[in-house]
Amino acid sequence: MSEIRRDPIGGRWVIVSTDSPKGPTDFQLVKDPETDPEKCPFCPGHEDQTPPEVLVSRNGGHINGPGWNLRVVPNKFPALKIEGDLGNEGIGMFDMMNGVGAHEVIIETPDHTKEMSQLSKQEIEATIFAYKNRCLDLRKDKRFEYILLFKNHGKSAGASLSHSHTQLIALPMIPKNVQEELSGAEHYYEYKERCIYCDIIRQEEQYKKCIVVANDKFVAFCPYVSRFSFETWIVPRQHFAAFDYIEPEAIPDLADILKNVLTRIHKALKSPSYNFIIHTSPIEDRVREEYHWHIEIMPKLTRTAGFEWGTGFYINPTPPEIAAKFLRQAKVNGK
Amino acid sequence: MPQLRKDPIIGRWVIIATERAKRPGDFLITKEKEDIKGKCPFCHGNEKETPPEIYALRKDGAASNKPGWDIRVVPSIAPILKIEGNLDRRGVGMYDAINGIGAHEVIIETPDHIANTAELPVGQIEKVLNTYVFRIKDLYNDKRFKYVLVFKNYGWAAGGSKINHARSQIIATPVNPKRVKEELVGARKYFEFKERCIFCDIIKQELKDKVRVVAEVDGFVVISPFAARFPFELWILPKKHNCDFYKLEQDEISKLAATLKLALCKLSKGLNDPPYNFVIHTAPFRHTEKHGYWKTIDRDYHWHIEIIPRLTQMAGFEWGTGFYINPTPPEEAAKALKEISCETELALAEK
Repeated sequence: MSEIRRDPIGGRWVIVSTDSPKGPTDFQLVKDPETDPEKCPFCPGHEDQTPPEVLVSRNGGHINGPGWNLRVVPNKFPALKIEGDLGNEGIGMFDMMNGVGAHEVIIETPDHTKEMSQLSKQEIEATIFAYKNRCLDLRKDKRFEYILLFKNHGKSAGASLSHSHTQLIALPMIPKNVQEELSGAEHYYEYKERCIYCDIIRQEEQYKKCIVVANDKFVAFCPYVSRFSFETWIVPRQHFAAFDYIEPEAIPDLADILKNVLTRIHKALKSPSYNFIIHTSPIEDRVREEYHWHIEIMPKLTRTAGFEWGTGFYINPTPPEIAAKFLRQAKVNGK
Repeated sequence: MPQLRKDPIIGRWVIIATERAKRPGDFLITKEKEDIKGKCPFCHGNEKETPPEIYALRKDGAASNKPGWDIRVVPSIAPILKIEGNLDRRGVGMYDAINGIGAHEVIIETPDHIANTAELPVGQIEKVLNTYVFRIKDLYNDKRFKYVLVFKNYGWAAGGSKINHARSQIIATPVNPKRVKEELVGARKYFEFKERCIFCDIIKQELKDKVRVVAEVDGFVVISPFAARFPFELWILPKKHNCDFYKLEQDEISKLAATLKLALCKLSKGLNDPPYNFVIHTAPFRHTEKHGYWKTIDRDYHWHIEIIPRLTQMAGFEWGTGFYINPTPPEEAAKALKEISCETELALAEK
């Protein structure tokens, strides 16, 4: 008998196939073809193929030239544009506004061949610092209400370039999924006067079966209501709503666990495509006492079809208990 | 300047890229030429390859689970929910779980090895729609179920299998799905505010604006909605207000069959046979009168069909935000599809 599990935050139901669970080797992965660094706009020497950098870490060289370790540039083909007013208007019964926003790319390494899990801990730390700096800077723009940091790795996760990068989009409104998560957390907080994410960490650590890895400041687990096979969350033990206010002392631990989890996913699932998303509170004056920032990592192993579109129901063929077990067993650093 | 458009029903925002608009030829569709090797379990003569049929439309006197049928309904070989058992709702610490009870049926739309519903004659599509109605009515009797979803996955990228034989699926669920609830709540709120059905209002506005109308058939309208999430997304809306799909009358079903054929045919011709999903959006089963819950549903909700060609990849942004980026403005999509003529196909199909 499969189980239908309810996500306590958004109220979403997931069908978890506990009868014939799928293991790491049961998915058909399409290998992305190797790409040519000569044609890659993110490679050193091709700085003129991107808009000018907004943030850079370099050992030498000139602005918008080679010699950098990490580079942040506006997206050349932005989904939203930075210039302009919102211009909200109604068209008959419909509403629209101008596509104003920021769309930036964080190029994590000059090395075309490395994926994020293969970067050094220091490089990942530098990447997280860049995330933080860009968010803090964009917070100042009063037109924006939300900043989303996310990664598309591999073609089936929607990446158009293979060179390791993260994207940042600043939006003029709070997106629907974020709003739902916030209201879910708010309801729980009103009812119990506790943070739902803190409760989830406690329950997962007690249950143990879904834990992937943990360190002093963070816990990584496959949540009880995973929507996707091998979905993994990284949650900070310290309760705080906004990712970009992360203390610098916590960044090494975050880099450590992010590298660890991505390496396990890379090894256990033979380099799958994946997305990760940093879930954080909106930009606003008040501190959201009831929210708790975290990272959700979703390997792209299955296809979504009519049922998921029609219902918002997900079918997860790998129970999180089994996914976590495989990820725990994956070898990291030859251990 | 790209536009942000808001879906008036559930409040979802969509980014419409107006400048680098993608037109039909801009999407690379990888053809899945691969078909099943050997026996197709859905072809006539191979009835033994599926679980025994739940229902079949067959010529008088033909035996069940034997050839001689027009439409066949069988349980899914790999059901995601199972029909036997109790729900056993329970808490697991702070979480909730119920047993995976439900119905999962496959409707084989033709005895011949034809892949796309667009190629079936209108009369055959009418039989398929009649079968949907028949199965929904039957599942309504099972008090464990709250919702029944009728949908189709055509092509590998749309979640279909490698067996290229036209079929659709029916899944009955023991809880009302989130996505359905959002739509119901959105429609109810609009009704509370305006005392009108939001879908009826959309039809009126679209027929007036015209730019997003793909086709108008007797009693039905095909549009690419204002806040379309996907390039060439289409909705088929019945002009007659009705919240339950299964309450359609016979003459409406035959007109819907022609409309569906036309919409699928335009997509297939215009986009070079793309993978697609379609989903029938209909009101949930109403076994219980929860306080105030379904009070106005007859007036506030309006069944319809949503068709989504699968031309782009969902990525981190969409998953994280529920925001969609649509590279083809629906006005462009409607214009391109409107110009595609399917008259010959329809005329041939009627014969």
